[in-house]
Amino acid sequence: MNISLWTLKAGERCEILGYDQMLPDNYRTRMMEFGFHPGETVTCLQSVAFGAPKVYRVSNTIFSLDEEVADHIQVRVLAADA
Amino acid sequence: MPKIILIGSPNSGKSLLFNRLTGLHHKVANFPGITVDVGIGKMRALPDVELVDFPGTYSLQAISAEEKVAVEHFERALDDPEVEQVLCLIDATRLEKSLYFTLQVIRDCERHGKPVTVLANMVDVLDSHGLSLDVGELGEAIHTPVLPISARTGKGADEIARHIQANRQLGPQPPRAHLLDAPDVLLRGTAHQLARRYGPKGDVLVRTQTRLDSFFLHSVTGGFAFFAIMYLLFQSIFTWSAPAMDAVETGLGAIANLVVPLIGSHVARDFTSDALFGGIGAFLVFVPQIFVLTFVIGLLEDSGYMARAALICHKPLRLFGLTGKSFIPMLSGVACAIPGIYAARAIDSPRKRLLTYMAIPLMPCSARLPVYTLLIAAFIPSGTALGGLVGWQGLAMFCIYFFGMLCGLLVTGIISRTSEDHYTDLPFVLELPPYRVPGIWPLLRNAWNRSKHFVTKAGKIIFTVTMVIWVLGYFPNYGTDLGTSWLGYLGRVVEPVFAPLGLDWRYAVAILTSFLAREVFVGTLGTIFGIEAADENMTPLVQQIQSSDLAIGSGLALLVFFAIALQCVSTVAILSKESGSGALATKMFVGYLLLAYSAALAVYHLAALVG
Ligand SMILES: Nc1nc2c(ncn2[C@@H]2O[C@H](COP(=O)(O)OP(=O)(O)OP(=O)(O)O)[C@@H](O)[C@H]2O)c(=O)[nH]1
Ligand SMILES: [Mg+2]
Repeated sequence: MNISLWTLKAGERCEILGYDQMLPDNYRTRMMEFGFHPGETVTCLQSVAFGAPKVYRVSNTIFSLDEEVADHIQVRVLAADA
Repeated sequence: MPKIILIGSPNSGKSLLFNRLTGLHHKVANFPGITVDVGIGKMRALPDVELVDFPGTYSLQAISAEEKVAVEHFERALDDPEVEQVLCLIDATRLEKSLYFTLQVIRDCERHGKPVTVLANMVDVLDSHGLSLDVGELGEAIHTPVLPISARTGKGADEIARHIQANRQLGPQPPRAHLLDAPDVLLRGTAHQLARRYGPKGDVLVRTQTRLDSFFLHSVTGGFAFFAIMYLLFQSIFTWSAPAMDAVETGLGAIANLVVPLIGSHVARDFTSDALFGGIGAFLVFVPQIFVLTFVIGLLEDSGYMARAALICHKPLRLFGLTGKSFIPMLSGVACAIPGIYAARAIDSPRKRLLTYMAIPLMPCSARLPVYTLLIAAFIPSGTALGGLVGWQGLAMFCIYFFGMLCGLLVTGIISRTSEDHYTDLPFVLELPPYRVPGIWPLLRNAWNRSKHFVTKAGKIIFTVTMVIWVLGYFPNYGTDLGTSWLGYLGRVVEPVFAPLGLDWRYAVAILTSFLAREVFVGTLGTIFGIEAADENMTPLVQQIQSSDLAIGSGLALLVFFAIALQCVSTVAILSKESGSGALATKMFVGYLLLAYSAALAVYHLAALVG
């Protein structure tokens, strides 16, 4: 099922499928430089209360993204320990 | 002089390594984007070469103003024939973050015929987790030498010098990496694969970080921790520095009582006691506070907590048109507006950067601290409640600090909602650095430097102002009657402006001089009361204010006035330089002045109503 990264719950893992058109080009590039490549696995570590930016892990780096970005990254949820 | 460039992604440890190699003391902090200016220093091991510390960038494809400056600088440096070599620092624990940038650097250096050495930093962290990085193989893969180092422990520092020296003896060499025409997309793919192959595997590196985050970012414990930490920060300013402040005050008093009677000439004696000890001494008392404040903020930054605080604050700050990234510049603004304004360069969104500029001068900077401390000590009782846990004066300090911040937020909130502009906005992405045990020595040194800077910079102004004030107040009647002195006449000219706040001419003069820098207020008052008291024993300024029948409403009005007004020449200058708009700085100066006066007036009348 394709959802946006923002809808991922804490503890869930997903595979990045791609970016939608709404995200400005320079930001898409920067996200890829950060390691958010299509095909890469991302784990949502924490979803902080009250709509605060969520915390995601890509390989060994931890980022916090807010809805304005995470909502434009399409992902596929992976099974719990795949 | 031959130069060597040190470049690397944000928070990879460049400044720490730079300090180690040069013996200088650049600011080190565990938050991406701390260094915004290029630093230069001679290498200790090779005194005939200069090392240049660059601000960190994630990529040579800049997307923020801060990065653009760094990237342009870097490209220009590559054209400079004096630049002999490039050191590219990467964080060995987070290869995927640094390798793409590294490849870009290798490519650009190849184009300009400059040799590159990759320094894989933080191997101490790898070691402590039983991990390792195969620098030999990684080096082969990118056709570039890779040296394992630790800027924290100093491991590998000697090899760097040896390697640089060997490279210099070899002279120019043909490029080896064959990346000359590689497009960014290709580099990105390659970096990704390399990071997968050579990067540290498994969870060990992020496990502690994740565990701590689940506490500090938890919706309940995280919020609680945030307020507890901020409260501690403000209590520490008052409570921890009190003994040191008392010591300075007693020490100065003792010296004054020793020295002053030894001076023969009557005028010189009065000058020493009133202007030197009364004026400058009154201001020196506050140096310990500035030291403690800088140190505690440094502790928070270097531990990695600040990035979490930025995250926690993002949503609330957004309500006021700001971003979580505004938190660091605003909190730095609590030490001093100027580093805060510089730190705002790290905010990638131009619109939010502009709004942050507007908020920073309202942050309770350390120059306000002497004024607050003086007024609070004069008007708020020194008792404690809840078994010593809450000091009234600490609480009052917390309130006036909070008031300044609240004003800042309200101003940006209103402006962001009402003004249309052409500034672009960018969304929020923040790398959360690992938690680290703060390096105490660099922090102490930084606090020391800041205090020294405060004393030398403000000291000059205060010295001059104090002298002028003393001369004006002492003559023509040799300190026998301040009211009929030149200063007294001048005071009565400006008195009507401040009379509505219940302030007499002495305070009016002090406020007037404080437009040079806020802390001058304390020095000026010290000198004025010093002349007035006309005795050779030093009486603390607080007691003199308490016995000067100033109404409590006027005291509060003064606090509010100082919380809002932009009384700082340097801030206005830096603001207009950094924002590239003199009009903005002027508007802010006038706007905050009017706001400050009206708010002070309101408080004075309110206090009169309450009784
Ligand atoms: N454990 C460990 N920590 C390090 C090492 N090098 C740097 N650090 C820490 O990493 C953090 C960042 O160091 P800085 O020197 O400020 O990094 P920078 O690259 O100058 O960062 P920016 O100026 O923000 O781009 C600090 O908390 C340092 O104490 C290292 O070799 N080992
Ligand atoms: Mg730095």
